[in-house]
Amino acid sequence: MLVQDIRYALRSFQRAPGFTLVALVTLALGIGGTTAIFSIVDGVLLRPLPYSDPGHILRVNRVGANGGLDSFSAADYRDLKKDATSFSALAGYRSDIVDMTGRGEPVRIIGMQTTAAFFDVFDAAPLLGRTYHEATDKPGAAVAVISETIWKQQFGSNAAVIGTQVRLNGAPTEIIGVVPAFLRHPQKSDVWMLSPFDVPTSPFDMGNAESRDVHYFSVAARVSHERPVVEGQQQLKSIGDQIARDHQSNAGSTFKGEPLAASLVADVRTAMLVLLGAVGFVLLIACANVAGLLIARGAARRRELAVRTALGAARGRLMRQLLTESIVLAIAGGALGMLVAEWTLQLLIGLAPENLPRLADITLDWRIASFGFIATIAVGVLFGLTPALQSSRPELNADLKDGGRTGTSRTGMRNVMVVAEVALALVLLIGAGLMLTSFSRLRHVDPGFRTTELVTVELMLPLARFDDAAQRTFYMGVLERLRANPLTANSAMLFPFPFGGGNAQASLSVIGAPERPPEQRASADLYSISPGYLQTVGVRLMKGRDFNDGDGPKAAPVVLISESAVKEFGGKDPIGQKIDMGEGFTVIGIVSDARRRSLDTPPRAAVYLPYTQFVLPYMGAVVRTDRGAGAIASAVKTAVVQIDPDLPIGDVKTMEQIIEASTGEPRFRSFLIASFAVLALLLAAVGVYGLISFTVTQRVPEIGVRLALGASPRQVFTQVIGQGLRLAAIGVVLGLVAAAAATTLVRGLLFNTSATDPLVYGALALLLLAVAGFACYVPARRAMRVDPMTALRSE
Amino acid sequence: MIKLQNIEKSYRHGLSQTFVLRRVNAEIKQGDFVSIMGPSGAGKSTLLHILGMHDSAWTGEFWLHDDPIHQLSAKDRMRLQKQHIGFVFQSYHLLDNLTVYENIDLPLSYRDVKKAEREGMVADILDRFNIVGKKDLFPNQLSGGQQQLVAIARAVVAKPTLILADEPTGNLHSDQGKEIMELFRRLNEAGTTIVQVTHSKENASFGKRVINLKDGWIVDAN
Repeated sequence: MLVQDIRYALRSFQRAPGFTLVALVTLALGIGGTTAIFSIVDGVLLRPLPYSDPGHILRVNRVGANGGLDSFSAADYRDLKKDATSFSALAGYRSDIVDMTGRGEPVRIIGMQTTAAFFDVFDAAPLLGRTYHEATDKPGAAVAVISETIWKQQFGSNAAVIGTQVRLNGAPTEIIGVVPAFLRHPQKSDVWMLSPFDVPTSPFDMGNAESRDVHYFSVAARVSHERPVVEGQQQLKSIGDQIARDHQSNAGSTFKGEPLAASLVADVRTAMLVLLGAVGFVLLIACANVAGLLIARGAARRRELAVRTALGAARGRLMRQLLTESIVLAIAGGALGMLVAEWTLQLLIGLAPENLPRLADITLDWRIASFGFIATIAVGVLFGLTPALQSSRPELNADLKDGGRTGTSRTGMRNVMVVAEVALALVLLIGAGLMLTSFSRLRHVDPGFRTTELVTVELMLPLARFDDAAQRTFYMGVLERLRANPLTANSAMLFPFPFGGGNAQASLSVIGAPERPPEQRASADLYSISPGYLQTVGVRLMKGRDFNDGDGPKAAPVVLISESAVKEFGGKDPIGQKIDMGEGFTVIGIVSDARRRSLDTPPRAAVYLPYTQFVLPYMGAVVRTDRGAGAIASAVKTAVVQIDPDLPIGDVKTMEQIIEASTGEPRFRSFLIASFAVLALLLAAVGVYGLISFTVTQRVPEIGVRLALGASPRQVFTQVIGQGLRLAAIGVVLGLVAAAAATTLVRGLLFNTSATDPLVYGALALLLLAVAGFACYVPARRAMRVDPMTALRSE
Repeated sequence: MIKLQNIEKSYRHGLSQTFVLRRVNAEIKQGDFVSIMGPSGAGKSTLLHILGMHDSAWTGEFWLHDDPIHQLSAKDRMRLQKQHIGFVFQSYHLLDNLTVYENIDLPLSYRDVKKAEREGMVADILDRFNIVGKKDLFPNQLSGGQQQLVAIARAVVAKPTLILADEPTGNLHSDQGKEIMELFRRLNEAGTTIVQVTHSKENASFGKRVINLKDGWIVDAN
């Protein structure tokens, strides 16, 4: 019997190609889009990390007195490790730029220096060889593990890589293992090096590295399998609180452990869920559209269904037949939807910002296919149920009578669906409109420095070869050569690049000001810059003077402060005052604020130090030029080679590229929601068109009579358009109310934009009404062209 | 077989009430061939659809084989309808997406007859009606007379005791109509009770008695 119903369904769809095509395309877009987005949400939010017991892996942070998250100091880490009895493994790690030499062409890769327990926390089984562990490898063993990617790229997937000796940042190291590509947590790395100490080595002088005030590496931990995670988290806090009580430098701080998976995606969780909701709306609209098509088709099949009932079909039998048709349609649409999902996913992954967390974990696999299948069946029942319920109870008396006219048959349910589609489409449109408005405002934020005609070049130095003095000599030599070149005359050195990686902070303590409790102490972003930096990047010197060549390593320590830092000086003129950074640094100038982390993060207090007095191996050159990045890269390379022929340069980017990358996630999110909104608008327009067109077809005899009785074609036109616009208007009103409620959920994603911006709401409501009016235009034109005689004769 | 007592059907429009059937009393015996006649709007088709249990909005008493239809639930009515009644429509009402074979098979599938048994019954009917060669054709590939033939085959395949026919030759030309009426006569002679609605005296002559309706009243039943 079911086979019979399926056969009949396929045959009837074959005989109605127009209906079938529209329904299949609608379903494919709805199901495919939903599946693609669910793949992204699954990969980013839901899929467990590929390690054993992934929920027990924590990212451990030091929470400062002011609530900010911080790295660890060596002393804090050692105290933590001593007392962390709830944990089976605790590891410190620090990313580094690594020059791999000793075999062929030197290559610069991203590396990570870790303590011995790193692979006890991230227990990825090696593809080849082994990984190092706390039980078997002691600090000082010069061993490293490489990634599958580097093994393929640099070693040709040769199994003989195990035992190979290479030089990593000049240090002889034995490669002992190759780990699979999925090991990219907590950060992507190409090589993992065992630290020669029980803590990662510091980029600073090791004497300072023992200080509790020098925070420079991160910590990950694995809670013991038999212990609940919350117990581990409580122990971390307890240990942190104890250290804070025991050491003045840690007053007010503590430790906090967050499940690693959650910490990786915390910034994008809300956005991902909003996207899932948005695509769910599209699916609902698609279902409403197809349901409307089926209801119309049911209305046209009323006589068939009445005959079937007259021949003995029970209501349940009819419903089963109609639901079978719906599910067959849904399965066909779902199969097409899987194709749409695959293509869409590849497109979206290509468009996604590189810094989208867990981007590499996004894939279309059997879990997603199962979701797609379940969604397909649910959709089939969802859009098939109402038409089945409605059509399976024909009015036999009316529907079987020969010569009986169906007239304007029941369109109530279709009206409801069209109103619902319009309302849902408007909610999506408004969401998209708000996000696009927010994104536009974000892009127009003045970051406080030039965004055009600036090229940046990373010049990271391997610590093993460059101590502080060598770093200073290197950067000063490069800058001198750049300034001697007319192409790069307007150059400076800088750490860190705005909106880039790298971060340095310090507490801002004015010497002579009243002492503050730890939780009230201000902190400031630290910059290391060369003289001429302000003028190169367009940061204004508001008072005092810039650094000059006289501010060398042996000169009195000086700083520039930003506008936002002025308030820490209690109303006094900061120029000439000193701030405490281990020793007193004299304030010589005040500069305008500049955004450092992102366009939507207000500028914080900042302290600028001369690079000759505070040098780091992560500095870079910034060049003001109207020539392209390629020409600048070549000039910088030449300058570097003259000082150190073996040193490659790092990434070369324009400031525009950096800012573009920093807004990648909101741009991606806005693009997706706008795409869904456009799709929803199209589907809603199709829904309105379908209903009005169907109604006109049904009302041809009535229209013929009206025209014969004296109605003008324009009156008929207006009546038809009016019917469609009335429904659309109801949908718009409902949509406005729903949007006002729904957009509160996305408030946190908006920048300088109210979730109830009346301009956005009003403009999009009008747009939707206009589109609905346009959708009614063709059937309305058809109605006004009805020939009364033809219409009446066919009766 | 059928007994109708005080059957009435009306429609309300605001405060007014329009009667389609007024105090219809009639008896139809097993083996009867009855023609219901009358002018347009007399209530003929309405009465036929009440007999066919397509219409449940009426008052009065309707007995079919001693079953009180007026007291039965919709489910029980459907059961009796499937058991006893075959309906033939003026416009044939064949399902366009089904072949001749499938149209005839349809009532059997709704009566949960097993597939093997259905095949035999449909084959038998196709043979009896001499339409075996047309079994794989769709209705739009048949003439009007052939379609009505298939409709009648569909109506009798489940071996009903009562056939109700609403203007069965209304859309056919006279030769085809005569063939159809001859077929009804043969079915009646084989024992099937037939009630037809017709405007045609010639068609009524194939039957044994006539019930005349006017303005919802039975004016003559002979």
